Amino acid sequence: MSVEDADGDRPADFETGRYLYCVVAVGDGDDADGESAASGDALAFDADGVEGESVYAIRADGLAALVHETDSLYDADDITRVREWLLDHQSVVDEAGEAFGTPLPFRFDTVVTGDDEAVREWLRDASDDLHAHLADLAGHWEYRVEVARTDDPEFEDDRLDELAAEIEAADEGRAFLLEKQRDRRRTELRRAADDDVAADARERLRPLAWEFEENDAADEHVAASFSLLAHEDDEGAIGEQLDAVAARDGIEVRFTGPWPPYSFAPEL
Amino acid sequence: MDETRPTRRQSDLADVVELLLDKGVVINADIAVTVGETELLGVKLRAAVASFETAAQYGMEFPDGTDVDRVEHAAGVEPLEDGPGEQVELDELEVESPAADDPEDERDDD
Repeated sequence: MSVEDADGDRPADFETGRYLYCVVAVGDGDDADGESAASGDALAFDADGVEGESVYAIRADGLAALVHETDSLYDADDITRVREWLLDHQSVVDEAGEAFGTPLPFRFDTVVTGDDEAVREWLRDASDDLHAHLADLAGHWEYRVEVARTDDPEFEDDRLDELAAEIEAADEGRAFLLEKQRDRRRTELRRAADDDVAADARERLRPLAWEFEENDAADEHVAASFSLLAHEDDEGAIGEQLDAVAARDGIEVRFTGPWPPYSFAPEL
Repeated sequence: MDETRPTRRQSDLADVVELLLDKGVVINADIAVTVGETELLGVKLRAAVASFETAAQYGMEFPDGTDVDRVEHAAGVEPLEDGPGEQVELDELEVESPAADDPEDERDDD
């Protein structure tokens, strides 16, 4: 595994760019036109971003974009660096959320080509949309739920009993085939049990979510995986419902959040 | 018993990977470039995140390989066939939670 040189590949070249973390709603006012965000009536926000870059706010139309200056996108095959990038990016968005409420979080490695004025211009152009989305999302966060089996349940099933008896009495070759059948039957039963758990979780959570998405299961142990856009005041109620789901034998629940509403972010 | 609260910890890094690389606001305007916009962008990044060997360097524990699967899934690649690597404990991956009162309160082991 090679370590990417800091001045390595530049898949997308631009002379001046602003790496975008998120957009937040702030009070009225623009940065003084033509001045850097570090002066005028700029918003006081500073944080260390990706690669230790200095993050600042560019303000227009009651909105602020949190950015750092860059002249390239970020790409590397060194996992340690990538991990740091992602965590640094996320920590900036977290700080923004604490300071200004629910942010509109951008995908990692989104760059506006141009300078601060280009960003201000974009904020003004997209102002109505941005304000509408921010107003909708205010006070809401993304919560992620995964319901998984800790072990394979023991099924009480006539067909499995029959197969077990047949396998006992069969010669080796036939026993092999019968075991295949038994595996298939177990899979069927497991899926049915998973569907049941998933339906229960869905029914409990959906009423608490403003938006609700089902995700693909990450692996075969996962019975259900959801993303919820929910109000922060409902966090406890969601936890309560998950306790009931997790109370089932052999079921465990992973509940993470509050995340910025990445999965419920609009296209602009 | 207090009800379960959501967590933001190192074991949730898979969420960060998925959310930041696959979700989030996308700008469909000429003024913006983003990774994943063309085949050429972010290829190394995804490969890095997805590779099993390097996933071990997240310092995550891999009960039954679950987290590895999840990371690979989040990165959108086929899992590689191999057993879990070393299990390393790393506290540096703690992610600060903006609103959780007590991130230590996790339902995983009852």
